[in-house]
Amino acid sequence: MKAAKKKRVILAKVGLDGHDNGIRIVSKWLMDGGYEVIYAGLYNTPERIIQMTIEENADAIGVSFLSGEHLFYAGKFKSLLGQKDMGHVKLIMGGVITPEDVEALKGLGVDAVFTPGTRRDVLLSKIDSIM
Amino acid sequence: MSKKEEAVYTHLEGEKLPNFRSLSGIEYKEYYDRSDWNGELPPPGEYPFVRGIHRNMYRGRLWTRRQQAGFGTPEDGNQRIKYLLDVGQTGINMDADVPTQTGLDPDYPMAQASIGLEGTSLSTYEDLKTLFEGIPLDRVSSTLIIQPPHSAVIMAQYLLMAQERGIPWDKLIGTVMNCSITQYVGGTLQSNIAWFPFDLSVKIGYDLIEYITPRIPHWNIININAYNMRGTGIDAIQEAGFSMALAADYIKGLLGRGLDIDSFAHRMAFFTAADIDLFEEVAKLRAMRRIWARMLKDKFKAKNKRSMQWRTAIQTSALPLTAQQPLNNIVRATIQTLAAVLAGTQSIHTTGYDEAYALPTEESHKLSVRTQQIIAYETKAGNSADPLGGSYLVERMTDEIEERAWAIMQLIEDKGGFIQCYKDGWVEDQINEARYKHAEAIESNDKTVVGVNKFQDEDEEIKISIFRHAGDMQEKRMEYIRNYKKNRDQDSVKRTLDTIYDLTKNKPDVNIVEPIIEAVKAKATLQEIDDAMRQAFNFEMPK
Repeated sequence: MKAAKKKRVILAKVGLDGHDNGIRIVSKWLMDGGYEVIYAGLYNTPERIIQMTIEENADAIGVSFLSGEHLFYAGKFKSLLGQKDMGHVKLIMGGVITPEDVEALKGLGVDAVFTPGTRRDVLLSKIDSIM
Repeated sequence: MSKKEEAVYTHLEGEKLPNFRSLSGIEYKEYYDRSDWNGELPPPGEYPFVRGIHRNMYRGRLWTRRQQAGFGTPEDGNQRIKYLLDVGQTGINMDADVPTQTGLDPDYPMAQASIGLEGTSLSTYEDLKTLFEGIPLDRVSSTLIIQPPHSAVIMAQYLLMAQERGIPWDKLIGTVMNCSITQYVGGTLQSNIAWFPFDLSVKIGYDLIEYITPRIPHWNIININAYNMRGTGIDAIQEAGFSMALAADYIKGLLGRGLDIDSFAHRMAFFTAADIDLFEEVAKLRAMRRIWARMLKDKFKAKNKRSMQWRTAIQTSALPLTAQQPLNNIVRATIQTLAAVLAGTQSIHTTGYDEAYALPTEESHKLSVRTQQIIAYETKAGNSADPLGGSYLVERMTDEIEERAWAIMQLIEDKGGFIQCYKDGWVEDQINEARYKHAEAIESNDKTVVGVNKFQDEDEEIKISIFRHAGDMQEKRMEYIRNYKKNRDQDSVKRTLDTIYDLTKNKPDVNIVEPIIEAVKAKATLQEIDDAMRQAFNFEMPK
């Protein structure tokens, strides 16, 4: 069996929303599921996360929101990824997001969106499929 | 037979629970009898108050219906408060947005996306006046959900507002949350060190308590936030142990300032969770009352009975609520509210069924109030104090939770106290362990969550109406604050801020509340006042 290089995911909270319950759990799930996770903690900016993605040569960025900032930051991330010609980096979002906004995020080009109560196998198989 | 049919028939043959443990892992027995508990109980209203702090409990006065509310501009927040009072809410629970709770004005770049989302955007004295416009401050009690150092600024605004309206401070009723440690997101150390010097924030919390205690006799000086820690996944026993250990630290801090225990202890209150394990939650709250009473009497040598009476505001925990089949949350929150009532708590916030999607709509907020009204007026559950007192099960569980919570408190004390444990990262480690364990219990079906890991609907379509913010709200707030900063007497702003800076830098023992009141009078904003103190410590915030 060929030892595949582990895919790298940067997980982060951006902006002021400090609710990190979900992202901490997802970070453990991804590690258990064979990913290399770099958890950047709270209070990041999209610019900083993009920079980190370049430095760490990461394959995906995962960010979560509880308070409704998701559309604002999805826009920022997509435009920065576009500007830097980083279309290969997947953008994954999670958190307290309405069904309508899940569609809006997908419309903006977010690769996967996970809402509360998503089970581990569902999350992992979705992420495996886009990576 | 299809997999689904197979599941249906297996389930008909003998439906069994996966286990019989409480949410904290206490094994429920087949039944309880005299061999499990054979004690004596003092009547309600008597030390150690396990049966409640009043002999007649809700017969004398119903609990306060205190729904957290806040979003958007101060005008938006004011409208929702009035709506809630109109449908029968009896106390105000002021929710500020995250920038406010972080000590940032709407024009701080990183704040922009969060303005008004999770609470009301507040910065200026005029903002607070708008939020409380038309609310009689001497007739309805307000809880101000805001932590140090911002609690000192918002409280200064509140006091000036009372003065301007001609309401003497001794007529004000309410609570300032003022808990430095666990307010942001429960346990993450980073949230408490990123935006303000940690120790300075604790110091300003004490300053505010010292200022309020003699001047505003009916105001509660702190609300120890156990709820936010519980929301991460820690169990009921940890919730009790952690929050009591934190309270012990605060008490020591205040005694260290020379305050007499009986001058402030009766004005400390808690903010705790009611999760869905009905009997365990009742037992937890009863145990917490007894721990507090014993701690105050034996450890802190309180003499006044009132100092030993533990009081708490409850929020029904959002953790068991689900995004799946959201109407189920109405049932959950009702049972959680019942737990709070059976336990004899002082005020209740019933969490909305739609909060796994957004802030509650007006309709959902009203339903929360109605839930409490139905329990109060129709079920008779509050007609007698401590209705579960004397139940073998509940008494046994109360004893066990108390014993195990004391053990946690002792462990924390041996490690230097809760604040030290928090700074050392020990609390965060405990919390991370608990949240992984909680997630794992759901994954392994050890813990059943209806609609999530059992009785799921396939391809469920969510049909509830969901709250939406006004599109131009954030822009409006940014513009407002920019104009506000242009149109005022800049010299007096500078003078009052310089005083705060100098005192913070050079006279760290001076109480900072009076100078903050002066700065508010001069129209300094929340962030400007915080910044004066940050700069005194050469403190850098994330940008």
